[in-house]
Formats: sequence, structure tokens, C-alpha cells
Amino acid sequence: MPGLEPWLYLGPALILLVTVLLVPLIVGISYSFRKFSAFKSEYVGLGQYQAMFSDALLGQALYNTLWWTVGSLFFQFFLGLGLALLLDRPFFGRKVVQAVVFLPWAVPSFLSGLTWAWLFNPIVGPLPHWLHALGLQAEPTSILSDPATAMWGPIIANVWFGVPFFAITLLAALKSIPSELHEAAAIDGASPWQRFSKVTLPFLAPTIAITVMLRTIWIATFADLIFVMTAGGPAGATNTVATYIYVSAFKSLDKGYASAVAVLLLLLLILYAVVLIGIRRSLARNS
Amino acid sequence: MASVTLNKVQKDYGSLNVLQAVDLEIADGEFVVLVGPSGCGKSTLLRMIAGLEEVSAGEIRIGERVVNDVAPKDRDIAMVFQSYALYPHMNVASNMGFSLTLRKAEKNAIDTRVNGAASRLGLDKLLARLPRQLSGGQRQRVAMGRAIVRDPKVFLFDEPLSNLDAKLRVHMRTEIKALHQQLKTTSVYVTHDQVEAMTMADRIVVMHDGVVQQVGAPLDLYDRPANAFVAGFIGSPGMNFLPATIRRTDADVAAILADGQRLPMLASLPVADGDEVSIGLRPEHMRVAADGDISVQVEVVEPLGLSTQFYAKLAGQQVCVFAMGRVSVKPGDMVRLSASAADLHVFDPKSGQRVG
Repeated sequence: MPGLEPWLYLGPALILLVTVLLVPLIVGISYSFRKFSAFKSEYVGLGQYQAMFSDALLGQALYNTLWWTVGSLFFQFFLGLGLALLLDRPFFGRKVVQAVVFLPWAVPSFLSGLTWAWLFNPIVGPLPHWLHALGLQAEPTSILSDPATAMWGPIIANVWFGVPFFAITLLAALKSIPSELHEAAAIDGASPWQRFSKVTLPFLAPTIAITVMLRTIWIATFADLIFVMTAGGPAGATNTVATYIYVSAFKSLDKGYASAVAVLLLLLLILYAVVLIGIRRSLARNS
Repeated sequence: MASVTLNKVQKDYGSLNVLQAVDLEIADGEFVVLVGPSGCGKSTLLRMIAGLEEVSAGEIRIGERVVNDVAPKDRDIAMVFQSYALYPHMNVASNMGFSLTLRKAEKNAIDTRVNGAASRLGLDKLLARLPRQLSGGQRQRVAMGRAIVRDPKVFLFDEPLSNLDAKLRVHMRTEIKALHQQLKTTSVYVTHDQVEAMTMADRIVVMHDGVVQQVGAPLDLYDRPANAFVAGFIGSPGMNFLPATIRRTDADVAAILADGQRLPMLASLPVADGDEVSIGLRPEHMRVAADGDISVQVEVVEPLGLSTQFYAKLAGQQVCVFAMGRVSVKPGDMVRLSASAADLHVFDPKSGQRVG
């Protein structure tokens, strides 16, 4: 049976993929069509999805997620790029600095969340007093307790945590640029800024596209830091879709609704990825 | 176009001296080849002319201008790299026109220059391609095109043919030489291949261990190498070196080899009886002759059709003999060889310097 033989070879990999990836996904999606209560669940069709339209909390969570993701990503990326460019130049003690720079990435997110929460705490942490001394705060209070500023807390912690990722990947990409290219550009008459924009950036573009996409998805679904630092509060000011899903599923015990919100987030992220890949394709074609 | 003058140019990396006081005058329009084994400092010297390496001491002039502290882009030079260094995200036309674009030349002027260079190099149909869509030879041509579009004062070539296969290398060699004959732009060309140096250069600069060994026209280096290094480096197959003792009598002068065989020498050589010397004898200067002065035992024969070269034992040492056409010798044969006294090179065995 020649028709069957290839499938036998593919079999183990397919079974693994289906059981590990596809089955949980389908089960998760199927939950979104059900309503769970203490000891039973019932099929409610699109009821959970209809409920989302009238959920003001979800609307705010979506807005918060956008704010949290864009804010974190923007600073992570530009600080990471800057750091990578600095680390690409030879200087005394570069190896040590590199190791130190990459350290935050190795710290468990729960630990960094706790540490940052304490740093923002006016009783044990120095940051509120510094902000006060700089005149940025009328009196030293935790920015985490004010709904207007609370989101900055997890964003700052997330920037600290995520900069190494961009620094590592962009540094690796920078190292792969042959030095002759920069020399050729220097002889061709490129200024340092032109060398960066016409040689370095185009070289980094594929890496930037893929890392920004990955990072966006990770940040949008990343709940640890927020949950540890503010648990979505105060007054839902830091409630993102990811924390909302967690709270819905394990605090409100509304697994069906949590699944429906998760499917929404999944669709939004797929849409984002498709758009980003499209942009990258058209850029690659034009250059 | 311009001349290039190096005046006591030196390069140190910390306490490590890699180039010692290089003096060199390159005339306007001249094609000069820097040649030597890897690590001899030839690429460093070229990169210093390009402005990619700092000059530790001495002075580099392009034309009348001292360029020690002038940025590469302001030296009016163009360089062809061994790896070609084409911008991977730009097509051939943009690669070639990049320097003009940066100098804010007019679009029409850029197109004219790029098209001109492209047709000269046979790249007309490839202008819209990306470097990764080109073969090695085509990339090499684009790198050349990028250099000639600029119409610079000086071309610098850093082993531009090393990444090509042997056949293409020979072809491009001829093309570069033809291009230079058309453009007559001053060129400095670095290679480790002495055949490239011999075939392309107006003058060759032989370097070794950061020291210029000899500067001269290809055949001058071949005919009168200044020392044993140049003698061994220039010419293929390489020169044979044999230790010998001078025997000078009123009647004649001869070199006595380690096994007692005699090679007659020119009486005009400034050598005295009993001097220890190193005799240099090119493979093509030994002839198989029944009445030859020396006898050797053939070990390996390499027939090449056009010519034949064989390796033989002489005075306990292997020597190479090169003859045009076909020579009927077999491994194991005892053969007599003759060499004209005028073809003998004599070197001081300690310093390696030429004697006479």
C-alpha cells in the first residue's frame, strides 16, 4: 500500500502535534460555547460571545492591553536596539557588561514583579521618594495605587525584563553584518547615520520584524508581572485581557467566558501577525 | 587620477609592529601589485591607503595631498573587496550607484554613469537583480562596476579574485588588466598569487613580514631577485636552492655542491675561494644534456603536454627541472643537466641577500 506508507513515517510527529497543540486548542475553543457552573456545564451556543459585547470591563481590558503592549514594546525595542548598538562596539569590560545586561532575562518574572512592586512602595522602596525629590510627585506615594499612573508600574518592570531579549537578538544580528559592508559604505561616502540607515537597518529588518511580532504576542498574553504587582487594580486600571482571562477562569470560575475572551485575543493576535507579515513582504519587495 | 606616495609608513598594533617604514612611489596611472604570503602586511598597507586603518607613523599622499587624517570617503578612492561587500538588499544598479546617490548626484547623471559602467562590464541585463541572484563572477563584476562608476583617483583591490574558481580567475585577470589599459586609473592591487602579480602589474612590490623586500617590474624581479625570499616567491615552479662552497682559481670560478659536483660560475661575481653560498637555479634554466656538468637521479616525472617537469635528487636534495615539450626520462634514470653560468643566482646563506 504505497498510499499509506508516507503517513506511517509522518505518524509519530503528527500524533504528537495533534495531541499537544490541536487537541487543547479545540477543547479550549469548545469551552467558549458552554456555560460552566459548580457541577455541570451546558451548551449555550454563541451566548458567551454575545455577552462580551455588553461587557464594559472587557472593553477597558482591551484598551489596557493595547496600552500595556505598545508601551512595553516601544521602550523594550528602542532601549534594546540602543543597547545592542553600544555592545557591538569594542570597549574595556564589554564581556562583563554584556553578562550584566542580559541578567534581567534570567530573573523569574514573579520575582521581578515582586521586586518592582516593593521598589514602588513608599515604605520600603526608594522610587517614590526619588520621584518626589524630582518634583514629579506631590508626595511620595506608590504609582501603583493611582489608577492614572498604575499601568506605568508593570510597564517599567516589563521594559526592564524585556530589554535583554531585544538586545541579545539584535546584537546577534548586528554581529552577522560583515565588516566589509561598513567599510565599503564608508568609502562610498556614507555618514555614520547613513551607514546605520542604509546598511545596518536593512540588515536588521528581518530580525526586527520577527522579534517585534513575537514580543508583541508574548507581551499581550503576559499576565505574570501585572498580576503580581497590581492584580489588575486599582479599579481595573491595569486589567489587561490576559489578567481578565485569568480572573474570569479562576476567580469568577467562569471558564466558558474566559475561553471566549481567549479566543478573541487569539483572533486579534493572528490578525496582527498577518498584517505585520504583509507589511514586511511589501517592504522587502520595494527595496 | 593621481599618484600615491608612501613615506616611511608604519603600522603598529600596540607593541606589535606589522609594517616597517614602507617607502613607495606609485606613479599616476600605474598598476602596482602588492604581493606576499598571508600575514606579510600587504592588506594592511592597502587598507591604510584606503583610510580603513590608521597610520601609526609616516605619511601617505594621494596626489599632492597628505591623507593620513582624511576620512575614506574624502580620499577619492574606490575599493574592491575580496568578499565584494555588495549591499545585499540593493539591486545591482543601486549598488553601483550608491556612492553617487550619497553624493546627491542627479538621477540622470547616476543612470548614465551606471549604465555606462554596466555595459562596459556586460552587466546590462542584470541591473535589476539582487546580489544573491548573481554568480560569483557576476558579483565580482558588480564590485568592479561600483568602483569604476565613481571615476576615482585611485582603485584599490584587495584580493578581488580569490573567491573565484581557477578558470574564471584567469579570465577576470585579463579583464581587469584590459580595463586598466582603457581607464588608466592609478591602481593598487593586493594578492598572494605571484602569477596574478606577474601578469597584471606594471610594478610589483614583494612583501614579507611587514618589510618591503623588493620593488620592480615583473621581469626585473624574476631576472634579478634582491634576496632569496623574492627569488623563491616569484616564478612557478619555484627556484631551487642548493648550498655550495666557492672554488676560485686563476682559471675559473665554480660552486662545489654538497656531493662534490661542480657548477661553473661567472668569474665577475664578487666571491672568494672558500665562501659558503646558496645557489639559486630556476627549474627552466636547467637543461637535459649529455655533456651536462651535473648528474641527477630522476624521482618523479610530471608530463603537462606543453611542457614536462621532473623532480630529481641532486646533492641529497630534491630539485625541480622544467623543460618545454616532452622529455624522455623515467623515474630512476640518471640524467646529466647543464646550466648556464649566467643563469645562476648567488645568495648569502645567512642574510639571504643577493651576491653580485
